[in-house]
Amino acid sequence: MITVLQDNLGALWQGVLTTLAITALAFLSSVLLGTLVAVFRVSPIPPLRLVGAVYVEIFRNIPLLALLILVAYGLPEVGISLSLFTTAVLSLALVSAAFACETVRAGINGVPVGQAEAARALGLTFTQSLARVILPQALRTMVQPLVNIFIGVALGSSLAAAVSVGELTYQAQQVGNRTAEAMLLFGISALVYVVIALLGGGLGSVLERRLAVRR
Amino acid sequence: MPTPPALTRRQVLRLSATLALAVAGGSTLAACGNDKSALTGNQTNVSDYDKIIAGGPVAEAAAVDGNAWAAKIKAAGTLKTGGSDAGPLFSMKDPSTGKITGFDAGLAQLLSRYITGKADGPIALSITTVDTRETLIQNGTVDTVFATYSITPARAKKVAFAGPYYRSGDAIMVKSDNTTITSVKDLDGKRIATQQGSTTADRIAKDAPGAKVSLFPDDAQCLAALKTGRVDAYVIDQGILISNASTDTTLKVVGEPFSDDYYGIGVTRDDPSAKEFVNAWLTAIEADGSWAKLWKATIGTVVAGDAPAPPKIGSVEGS
Repeated sequence: MITVLQDNLGALWQGVLTTLAITALAFLSSVLLGTLVAVFRVSPIPPLRLVGAVYVEIFRNIPLLALLILVAYGLPEVGISLSLFTTAVLSLALVSAAFACETVRAGINGVPVGQAEAARALGLTFTQSLARVILPQALRTMVQPLVNIFIGVALGSSLAAAVSVGELTYQAQQVGNRTAEAMLLFGISALVYVVIALLGGGLGSVLERRLAVRR
Repeated sequence: MPTPPALTRRQVLRLSATLALAVAGGSTLAACGNDKSALTGNQTNVSDYDKIIAGGPVAEAAAVDGNAWAAKIKAAGTLKTGGSDAGPLFSMKDPSTGKITGFDAGLAQLLSRYITGKADGPIALSITTVDTRETLIQNGTVDTVFATYSITPARAKKVAFAGPYYRSGDAIMVKSDNTTITSVKDLDGKRIATQQGSTTADRIAKDAPGAKVSLFPDDAQCLAALKTGRVDAYVIDQGILISNASTDTTLKVVGEPFSDDYYGIGVTRDDPSAKEFVNAWLTAIEADGSWAKLWKATIGTVVAGDAPAPPKIGSVEGS
């Protein structure tokens, strides 16, 4: 059991790094894209609101695995061939952005309406009041929901193994198959995912304390 | 008022194949592979096939009762077996009838017939993946695994292998217009797809060390990767490739098989009578011609010529 680990540490570590890379890239992209879509959804321009709503309803409701396979094998049919790593990051980001959007929107709606009225009274434009007044306050209440999204991205990245991306689950499956120790390797990969999720949660708590208003 | 068609018929077909794939998802999620015959076809002749099962040998009652492992299966009345429902030629489900046929599936039924004496060789199939085969045998969920299960020394530490019952040879499939790959040497530096859990990846690493191997969960995804240009070639058992090429003219199989891979029947290690009994059955179906007839009705529908001589039982390390 120990030798199985020693002999395959390189492959597994490579898998961990790939999982971390996919998670970080997909999470950051989903927060940025999600914020943009949320701004669309609260904007005073009806067509933008519609675009935002349609985006959320599409990507919130497609199973990630189906999206991965469509991007991996469907898009090349129409001439768009992305690398499998990019496929994984893109699919995860698209789905998570829909959830991030709703988190951001809930955060924005949670800021008392008086704040927006005061900003407008001071002569700030829609964008200015959003960027300087509303979003900074909304962020405080969004930290824990965003941690949930981070964990969703980290765990969801394991589905990338189904399209042959060399992340943790894929490497664990390969090593498990070669050494006939599949259950051991699944156990180990589960532990690593728990650690990644815990680290995300820990960072979230630190951030939450930093952002807390001292009264 | 009819609107002009936005997509050609061919585009619609390709799109629906892609959607079928999406619906089927990764077969690591098991049991959802029904739609894949749209991509690979299943040419097993079912009525011949049923006759072969019904004509298979039956063990003497004393032989079954005297073997603890077989007696338990006879009492249960059905053989609990592990395998695939998305493996062309070996174990593939026909989506219209729900019937699973193929060389592996047929052998499982012949073993059931041998033990239970029933003409239809009843089996209860659990879908196994490369991740679960050893575990399901060890914890007794299945009595046997027939799943293009390559015998390796590492696996033989977990389960016992009866057989080998089949010698597989890996061949190479490329797009029809590819002229640069004609043998295993040409794979060096190329992107290759193969199935997860096959021992093919190790062999490619040996014969063409510069090749970039990607492993996909099943046949349908390997084909999709090849057809969409993600990989330059797909390497797996020649029979599977010939079956694929026979239903799709945009693909071709090049060169002769370049490897030997021996498939065994996985059974528990805890009870040595299991392996002993399955080997005795294998000897019986090889001697009375059932093995060759089943080969002809399944793999023989795409591979030309007579059934090969089955590999010698116990001839492989781990068996």
